[in-house]
Amino acid sequence: MSLMKNVWVFSDKQDILAEICAGAHQLGERVTALLIGNQSTADEVIKAGADHVYLMGELDGSRMVEDFLPTIEKLVEDHKPELIIFGNTKRGKLMAGRLAAKRGTSVLADVIEFAEDGTCKRRVYGGAAISTIKSNAEVAIATVGSGVFGPQSLDESRQGTTEKVEFIPADSKIKCLERRAKGSVTVNLTAAKRVVAVGRGFAEKEDLKMAEELAELIGAEIACTRPIAEGLDWLPRERYVGVSGVMFKPDLYIALGISGQIQHMVGCNQSKTIIAINKDKAAPIFKQVDYGIVGDLYKVLPTLIEKLKAGK
Amino acid sequence: MNVITCYKIVPDDQDIIVHEDRTLGLEKAELEIGQYDLPAIEAGMKVVADAGGKVSALSVGSKHLENTKLKKAVLSRGPDDLYLVVDDSLADADTHQTARTLAAAIKKIGNADLIICGEGSSDLYAQQVGAQLGELLGMATINAVSKITVEGDKVIVERTLEDEVEVLEVSLPAVISVTTDIIQPRIPSMKEVLSAGKKPVTQWNLADIGLADNPKTMETINTLAPELAERKLIINEGDSEEVVDQLLANLRQELQ
Repeated sequence: MSLMKNVWVFSDKQDILAEICAGAHQLGERVTALLIGNQSTADEVIKAGADHVYLMGELDGSRMVEDFLPTIEKLVEDHKPELIIFGNTKRGKLMAGRLAAKRGTSVLADVIEFAEDGTCKRRVYGGAAISTIKSNAEVAIATVGSGVFGPQSLDESRQGTTEKVEFIPADSKIKCLERRAKGSVTVNLTAAKRVVAVGRGFAEKEDLKMAEELAELIGAEIACTRPIAEGLDWLPRERYVGVSGVMFKPDLYIALGISGQIQHMVGCNQSKTIIAINKDKAAPIFKQVDYGIVGDLYKVLPTLIEKLKAGK
Repeated sequence: MNVITCYKIVPDDQDIIVHEDRTLGLEKAELEIGQYDLPAIEAGMKVVADAGGKVSALSVGSKHLENTKLKKAVLSRGPDDLYLVVDDSLADADTHQTARTLAAAIKKIGNADLIICGEGSSDLYAQQVGAQLGELLGMATINAVSKITVEGDKVIVERTLEDEVEVLEVSLPAVISVTTDIIQPRIPSMKEVLSAGKKPVTQWNLADIGLADNPKTMETINTLAPELAERKLIINEGDSEEVVDQLLANLRQELQ
């Protein structure tokens, strides 16, 4: 296996940074984190997997995360790692793109797999296909989401080095006036082992209670298709599964009233076991299930819940 | 306020066929404006409705951009005029080539105050062109924008991130990528469709915009439908107790 010598990682989210640093050892001999933080956050990132940390400074009221881009650009230009990975948050995508433009290249966006031959894979056409791509750049730039490298463990005894670097001020054309938490409760579905997902087979928002009851009985998280979150607004956006939403591989995925369009299935078709209840026999989901019932979920679900309860 | 909204013509992915060898057949897929670009166009119309000015639409790509129906489809959504950069080498352009071409065209159009891009393209969805374009033009560049308000020579935007919302003051000129929920795109009226045909269209090639040399920065080796996981496909019909019992037994096994 041909490992790269140097892989760098940046993310504005500490947990994603730690996860990718750990995973990046599958790709490179030496993993370097570009960190906004202090010595104690640097120590955490080293425990997670970084061999080296460039400590670029801390966020303060006047600095946006994006203002660290000139500092990152300078480090990349000086050291030229073979690959720099950005966590694929909104900020990460913006910064990766701006860095790529500066360096005259494209970004390997939302990579789902890195191969030994230097190629990587990403989803295209709403998940209907996967492209194998390769960067021609001296420093390849990629964005990667949570879960791509699989779960990682902390090693309390891991050693690494930290180096403080000078913050290079950005010519700020953008000023942050206000920052507020989003109204909805944040959920991290990617970590869920069991999931009960709902689709348009539910006629009323009220009826989702059945799905919630089932989820509670089996210790599952609730998820949904895009129309349930966007359009009907029955559940928050963070809970919809699909190419522009959550993509994960839980152990168990129970799809209720979901027809199984590719745009949805791409988010969950790596699940270990898929169970579906849907009244439409021709629904595409029935080509991708382990266990299924072609039937009315309004009849099947209450019976199932009752029996589950009785069995406990 | 001179607004330019960028869009991409893409195949409707509902019509994509997967062949036996997992390659894709796009021949039957109808071409359309990217679904993430429609709110970008509408957001541009809203800015001009509020602050005055003009909206130009801009796209770069291969010959299919010349399709009359597609040109009308864009112009019927409100823009005053349309600019196209057509070259067959742009058919499978990477994000850097696309951003470079857009940047060169925007410079040639001149006097742009605000450039609005969609969240990503419906076909490749790299969500990269807006970010690269802004950097290439040396303009203020921001993404995930869910609200735009014009205030003099600046815009105030709301940016919706994973778990927070930022309110940002963005100096102009700027390149802004917007979310799909920024605004509901219109369904063009008959009047809008009819008047679309009379609006000016300017078409350039790469040489016209001084971009004869626009090399690829990445290669696409292949594009294949994913191999689906093998499933047990144990499916029963009906809602009888027996059917539910069977599922329950399977479910219990999975829960162990």
